[in-house]
Order: sequence, then C-alpha cells, then structure tokens
Amino acid sequence: MEPVSGWDIAALLAKAVTYAATLSAAGCVFFVAYSDDLLQNPERSRIRRLLGASLAAAAIASAATTLLLAASMGGDLASMFDSTYIGMLLRAGQGRATAIRFAGLICALFALSTTRRFQAPAIIGAILAATSFAWVGHIHALRPNSLPTFVLCLHLLAVAFWLGALAPLLIVTRAANGARVGAIAARFGTAALGVVAALIAAGAVLLWLLIDDAARFWSSDYGWLLAGKLATVAVLLSIAALNKLNLTPRLLRGDVSAVGSLKRSITAEMVLGGTVLLITAAFTTITGPPH
Amino acid sequence: MFKNVCLAFALSGALAAGPCLSHAKLQSSTPADSAQLTQAPKTLTLNFSEAAQLARLVVVGDGKEISIPIDKTAKASQSFTLPLPGLVPGKYTVQWTAVAADDGHVTKGTFSFSIAG
Repeated sequence: MEPVSGWDIAALLAKAVTYAATLSAAGCVFFVAYSDDLLQNPERSRIRRLLGASLAAAAIASAATTLLLAASMGGDLASMFDSTYIGMLLRAGQGRATAIRFAGLICALFALSTTRRFQAPAIIGAILAATSFAWVGHIHALRPNSLPTFVLCLHLLAVAFWLGALAPLLIVTRAANGARVGAIAARFGTAALGVVAALIAAGAVLLWLLIDDAARFWSSDYGWLLAGKLATVAVLLSIAALNKLNLTPRLLRGDVSAVGSLKRSITAEMVLGGTVLLITAAFTTITGPPH
Repeated sequence: MFKNVCLAFALSGALAAGPCLSHAKLQSSTPADSAQLTQAPKTLTLNFSEAAQLARLVVVGDGKEISIPIDKTAKASQSFTLPLPGLVPGKYTVQWTAVAADDGHVTKGTFSFSIAG
C-alpha cells in the first residue's frame, strides 16, 4: 500500500461522507416518487428535511474531498488552497464528476417542494448526482471505457435506490402503523428485487473488467478491501432477504411486533451500508487494482 | 429483438474493454531505488505505469528538504526527467506525488539512493 498520511485519511472520510450523503439524497427522491401515495404529510416533511440535510452534506463533503486531496498532494494545510493542485485534480476527472454532482444536487432541490409537478426534474437531478461518481476513478483507465462507465452508473443507481431508501424507511417505521409500514416495505421490496439483481450483475461485470490476474488481484491490498466489501454486502443482502421474506409478510398480516424488528433490521443495514461506502472510499483513494 | 441487440452491444463492449490499468505507479527511476552511486546524479528520471501529472517532488538529504521545481501545468506523461542541484555525498530519499491522467487518483511514493564520499 502507498504511504498513507493524515490528509489521505481525512480525504477518504470526506469521500465516504460524499458517497453516503449523495446516495441518501438520491434515494430520498426515488423513495418519495414510488411511495408518495402511501405516505402521510408528517412523514413527507421528515423525509424532505432528511433530503435537505443530505443535499447540504453532499455539497460540503464533495468540496471538502477535493480540498483534502489537494492537501494530501502537498502534504500541508497550505496545499489545500493551492490552485495548481486543485487544478490538477479537476482536470483529471474530479472536476467533471464534481460538476455533474453539483448540477444533480441543484436539480434534486426541486424535491424539497411540496408540489408533485417538480418531481421529474428532481428525479433527473437524483440520477445525475448518484451517477456522478462514475465520471472519475479506476474504470477510466480501461479502454474503451464507455461500457464500464454505463455499468457503473447502473450499479450506483441501484445502490442509491437500495441504501438511499433505508433512512426514509426508518422514518416511516417510527411514524406509521404496522399495516402501512408493511405496505410501504412491500412496495420497496418488490422494486428492490430487480434493482438488487441489477446491482449484483453490474458489480460482477465491473469486477470482471477490473481483474486482470485473479491470483495477484485477490492477494493485493485492493483485492483484500474488495473482499471485505463483498463479505459486508453478503451480510447486508441476508438482512434484506430477512426483511422481505419474514418481516414484511408479518407486517402485512398486522403483526405490530414486526415494526420493532424492522427498525432494528434497517438500522443494522444502515451501519453495514456505511461500512461498505467507507471500504469503497478506501479502495478508491489509497489503493488501486494491481497491474 | 431490441433486448438481444442491447445484450450483444453490452457483451461486445465488455469483451472489447482493454487491459486493466490502475493508479499511476512508479515503475522505475534513475537513480534506481537503493542505488549506490559514486558520482552525484545530474538528473532524476521517473517512469510511471501510466500517464500522470507530477504534483510534487522533494529530495531529502541530511534532514534537509530540497524541493525540485516541476511544471505543474505540463501535459500528463509517463516519464519525467528533471535536473538536480549539486548533491554532496550522503543518503537521499526522493518523495514524489502524482495524479493519474486517466483515473484522477493521487499516488505517492518514496525511494532512496546514496552517493559515496
């Protein structure tokens, strides 16, 4: 592994927060779009507040990531504001990704409105913001890189749909009665089936594209981190399956005790999802796939 | 039919994707890592695994940092040769930082060489 400084760790954490906040914002927009008729006003306004906080956090963390990467390049605080370092990062793909993310976050602001006619631009914004991470990174070293970029966009949209729905679902479990929680969880679960399948398929294609020499790949730092991510995702999928196959049917049957179980289950998913994003930030910041 | 065309396009694109590259890594240098020289080198050459922009280059000798001027606005390249100031006998560590042109990732590294007295 390359030498890792405090600035690298700070940049890594800022990148993880950028992932989490951006995907959360996009997930909130998607969640409201497909479950709005099942939501009540108090839940809608809490989800809107969550969306507002996620949008602000995504914008701040995104800018902070670039500044911290510049500091990491120069190794000191002054480098954080060094225009040549920042310029190098922005020209090398970070600028394109950040510009697309900011455009998306601005469009997603429409979802803060209570009027449904602004939903379309908000969804476009959510798609742009969630897929902005595909415009910089390891896949851009592949030739050609249009298909890998498209596959990564699909992967990111699926992640935003799944992980981004967890916080709104938790809000619903705190406010709604068991049957309505069941109805919303069932709708999410039905859509998530196809989305998670797309997420796994896209992830498998990306993995295949990134692996050149399997033995070297899996014994590298990058391979170890990726193995850690895959193991965490496997646990996450198991919990999601438990929610869909056990808790949601119990909620639909009117079993109110399942609401508490669903809350704990969603909280566990959020912790594991955060871990996945942190690992992803680590292997996209401090290491890279072996040659 | 449309689905089949999309699938064929996706598979052909995936199969056509070139070999995987990654962060710009230092493949070789002159002086080489751990080189023991009898004369002070006049230049320093860094060869990277892929095109990169050199962001920072510092030579540390006897606890003192010697910053090597680099053109940070130059086009990305796989190889950089930079003039060195006159170095006295001793042990030197080279610290470099680069940004990969393709994936935009920052990489850093160090290597050492010594000049016999």
